[in-house]
Amino acid sequence: MTTLNRQATPQDPDHLKGLHDDLQEVWGNPRGIRALTIVNHTTVGLRFMVTGMVFFLIGGILAMLIRTQIAMPDQNFMNPDIYNQVTTMHGTVMMFLFAIPMLEGLAIYMIPKMIGGRDLVCPRLSALGYFCYLFGGTILTFSIVLEMAPNSGWFMYTPLSSSEYSPGLGSDFWLLGITFVEISAVSAGVELVVSILRTRTQGMALHKMPIFAWYILAMALMIVVGFPPLILGSILLELERAVGMPFFDVAGGGDPLLWQHLFWLFGHPEVYIIFLPAAGVVSTLIPVFAGRPLVGYGWVVFAITVMGFISFGLWVHHMFTVGIPQLAQAFFSAASMLVAIPTAIQVFVWLATLWVGKPRFELPMLWIVGFLVIFVCGGLTGVMLALVPFNWQVHDTHFVVAHMHYVLVGGMLFPLMAGLYYWLPLFSGRMPSETIGKWGFWLVFIGFNVTFLIMHWTGLLGMPRRIYTYDTGMGWDIFNLISSIGGFVMSAGFAVVVIDLLLHFRYGKPAKENPWRADTLEWANSLPPSPYNFVSLPKIETRHPLWDDPDLPRTIREGKHRLAVASHGRRELWGSDPLTGKLREVIHLPGNSWWPFCAALALAVVCVSLLIRWYPLAGIAVIVAGVFLLRWSWENGAHPRAAPDARVQEGDPPLHSRTLDGPGLWTMTTTMIANGAFFLSFLFGWFYLWTVSPEWSMPDTSPLSLFAMLAVGLLFAVGCTAMETCVHRLRQRNDLGLRLRLLVAALLGAVASMVLLWLILSADLAITETAHDAVLMVGLVYALFHVSLAALLSLLQALRVGYGYVSAEAPFEPVVVAYFWRYSVLMLWVLVGALAILPRVIGG
Amino acid sequence: MSERKERCTASCIQRAGARQVNPATLLALAAPLALMGCAGDKSILDPAGQVAREVALIWWVMLSFATVVFVSVVSLWLYALLRKHREHTPTQERRIVRYWIVGGGLLLPGLTICALLAFGVPTGKRVLPVPLDNAPVVIEVVGHQWWWEVRYPNAEGEAVVTANQIVMPAGEPVDFHVTAADVIHSFWIPRLGGKIDMLPGRTNRIRLDADAPGRLLAQSAEFSGVGYAHMTFPVEVLPREEFDAWLAARQPEAIEALTATADAATLASFEESCARCHRVAGLSTGDTGPDLSDIGARATLGGGVLTMEEGAIAHWLEHHQTLKPGNKMPPHDDMDAATLEALGSWLETLTP
Repeated sequence: MTTLNRQATPQDPDHLKGLHDDLQEVWGNPRGIRALTIVNHTTVGLRFMVTGMVFFLIGGILAMLIRTQIAMPDQNFMNPDIYNQVTTMHGTVMMFLFAIPMLEGLAIYMIPKMIGGRDLVCPRLSALGYFCYLFGGTILTFSIVLEMAPNSGWFMYTPLSSSEYSPGLGSDFWLLGITFVEISAVSAGVELVVSILRTRTQGMALHKMPIFAWYILAMALMIVVGFPPLILGSILLELERAVGMPFFDVAGGGDPLLWQHLFWLFGHPEVYIIFLPAAGVVSTLIPVFAGRPLVGYGWVVFAITVMGFISFGLWVHHMFTVGIPQLAQAFFSAASMLVAIPTAIQVFVWLATLWVGKPRFELPMLWIVGFLVIFVCGGLTGVMLALVPFNWQVHDTHFVVAHMHYVLVGGMLFPLMAGLYYWLPLFSGRMPSETIGKWGFWLVFIGFNVTFLIMHWTGLLGMPRRIYTYDTGMGWDIFNLISSIGGFVMSAGFAVVVIDLLLHFRYGKPAKENPWRADTLEWANSLPPSPYNFVSLPKIETRHPLWDDPDLPRTIREGKHRLAVASHGRRELWGSDPLTGKLREVIHLPGNSWWPFCAALALAVVCVSLLIRWYPLAGIAVIVAGVFLLRWSWENGAHPRAAPDARVQEGDPPLHSRTLDGPGLWTMTTTMIANGAFFLSFLFGWFYLWTVSPEWSMPDTSPLSLFAMLAVGLLFAVGCTAMETCVHRLRQRNDLGLRLRLLVAALLGAVASMVLLWLILSADLAITETAHDAVLMVGLVYALFHVSLAALLSLLQALRVGYGYVSAEAPFEPVVVAYFWRYSVLMLWVLVGALAILPRVIGG
Repeated sequence: MSERKERCTASCIQRAGARQVNPATLLALAAPLALMGCAGDKSILDPAGQVAREVALIWWVMLSFATVVFVSVVSLWLYALLRKHREHTPTQERRIVRYWIVGGGLLLPGLTICALLAFGVPTGKRVLPVPLDNAPVVIEVVGHQWWWEVRYPNAEGEAVVTANQIVMPAGEPVDFHVTAADVIHSFWIPRLGGKIDMLPGRTNRIRLDADAPGRLLAQSAEFSGVGYAHMTFPVEVLPREEFDAWLAARQPEAIEALTATADAATLASFEESCARCHRVAGLSTGDTGPDLSDIGARATLGGGVLTMEEGAIAHWLEHHQTLKPGNKMPPHDDMDAATLEALGSWLETLTP
């Protein structure tokens, strides 16, 4: 090992024990009720995965109910309304409460361990994400118990999901619950991006990153860009249901197809968001069991990137039957087929790796082969479905149901199971049972194929999806019965897997170090890992640190590498260069905190009070949540609870809060990418309705005062300039007049929000009459939120200057806030152009 | 110039429509079909029209090709896993890897895609309702929760209206103009081709043709709520003359004459309980439920839940909420069985 041991840790066991105690003191997890304050990625990741598993079992039970109902013709096991609730919830639970959170949980758990970090870069955000997921998922699932579950299908097509055709609370449960859960998805996406880019250990250049990190980076970026359209869509649909704003109502000038576009703009990338991490598991496991590096690492990175981009250009293939122009169909058809290329590249890279390697056939590999068989089959039917005339025939039949399960179960669940078995020793320190594991695999594999292979045929015989009953005599009876039997075999298989997992915690053989002879850093952890992962952070030379130096786990444990000190009370990891992995700063992370839990709880109150339409409580809860979040942000940077002193070891880079380019800046930028995707979706909605909606009407004179809009834009731009000046002077280590400038910016922002508020109140928008006015209202409220939040953040910065948390020595935070200002000023002017100027220029 | 081109495309389409598949191909297709049970009233593999036939052919070709790819990829994988390990020099390794990635990762899917598109895009074009020399029959279909309104507009802008059945001429293209009155539905006659969504506020068009007279089934194919499972409708394909006669029998004078046979008591209960929602030509104008003017002549009731036979309507009137749960007709608990039977037998006489 070439890393210089700068800490010169003495070898005596007492010192080592002292070091471990120090680290345990700083990083350790509290017990009892205070376990709710834990922010550590290991714990949060496990919580995500265990909760995801519970939702998987719930979704599985729902699937069994479906298969029981349609096992035979003319059954009366469930009435149609309950059946519709069950099918809707099966899809919703599996997609939103199992697949995404489960994979995010795996990434949250695995990424810091693989890239040589000690935690994710925003630990409190991880915890907030988890609680949002837990509370949102629980609220949503609770609707089944109340027999009030959403019942208009998991993609909630309106007008069926509108208040007119779905009067109860079902759709509201879906829209509010899912939006709440998406907070967790997006926050995990943001911090995974930043963690992968900025917290890799020393020397881990981008091209030396484990391939799994590439997959997760792509997934996280796709979440950041892909989820906002659905969040916007859900907000709009909920506004239509609760307030009556006619975004999707033809009579009011809206268009139900806008919902389909927003849904599938999210929905298609989501398929790849689910597939990519799973493929990442395959690309991680195959080299380990082939005993040689992945061939064509560059090819795989290329394939991942291409897949990420193409997946955003495919959403229309879910809408081939809505009557879109032929040319558009040909385009989306070709684009959908193109995805076969990056997929095939990966399949053949895996094949080539096995070909030139020395494969060992162990339990995880069984699931990988199962994955390949099922996924290739799903991929082939996918190419068929991309062909428009064939798509028209089988769209919305059981053929599509079969295809989708082949892709999702094959492409996600099988690799996930492989991954779970592979990383089990890491989770528990024990090995799985080969025998029970094999039984579980074969039952699931056979059960799955019996259920779904035959279902292609049922679909070709014309059986539509989502019907709760059918007549005998269509020729569907025997195939449905076979599918149902297969379904029960598959669940028996999962029962065996669950039993195996539970038993292994008790009876599994203790794992020895690096049990699969893997190459990546997560196996340098102790089994199971400590909350701080690594006692010292190693320097990385190649992609295969553990193959290069099998002794690495021991030297890490003995503190022979860097950052092996915790007596200063800070939680530390490296901040490194996103490309080269050179060290840039020492990142210090906040510790355990009640704020994430409290904020999530307040948001849950918002969600429930919106659900029961008790708006005063919702208002109060929003304010409480806001206060909690701001209070949370107070304990940052140079705050004594975040970093009591700024001293670092000799030779180490400075603390990130004492630089101008810490991870917070990256987090803000990534968040603004998500925010920008949300805003672009809004603009898409505005122009879509304007140009395509059948009954859209544009008033002759805009209800928005151009003068007031320009005034808001100008005031805010001047405020932004004040912020920019602050940043500019801080770069020169000059904090003279910093507080005054921040106050000026805050004041200008506040005045701008007042004008904007006046504009909204005086514009007299008929938001329940026309989609036009309803869209304007959403745009203005979005702007108001940004303008006032920017003012508030600057005000808080000015206060922090007074406390001494922000200064020329700790210049970090105003830079982050200035980024928010920049985004807002850009957004505001685009909005002025799109909503106030363009209609005046072009007219209706 | 553009007009000529249009006419040319149109005649091409007509020719494509008229072309018959040679019997040998049909036989070759029919053998496996019979073996695996492809036949079925909604089977897309048992085509009864040109569009569906082309799609079925596409399916069999794609299936054969996909099977070859699937078997080869999986066998290669298993072979790679199980074969005896051989040592390779780094140069050899690089060559093997390049071979696999370029061949399997780029060429295989690339060529497949080109073949598929070359094959598939023209088929898609044939369903487009481009103008023809002889304007085809237009049938308007409006989706409702959970029934279809079917209209045959004539040149004067009036229309023959029926519900829950489609009657169309054989051997010629028919244009369906579809829309929806409430939520989204989808228009599908599996053995002819399709499908196309019925969207509120929009009209979508699709062109289908049926080879020969006979009975087919249509299916609403977009999930639309509790009654969705009961949206199967009979499609009657008639020779042109019979179709014309069918249409003639439903012209206003002819169809209004049917109501003459009703007795006063039945008429009164119809006026009281049915007329607000249902239209019977010459009697009532309600339009929230299906038109009943020729109900006696339809093959099924309630979107496929009952076959039309003697007493079927009365049975439906009494038990419709158990036969088709959630349908929007209120239960008739307040009416005695005798009245329902009288209404039912009278409605069954509405047979043009």
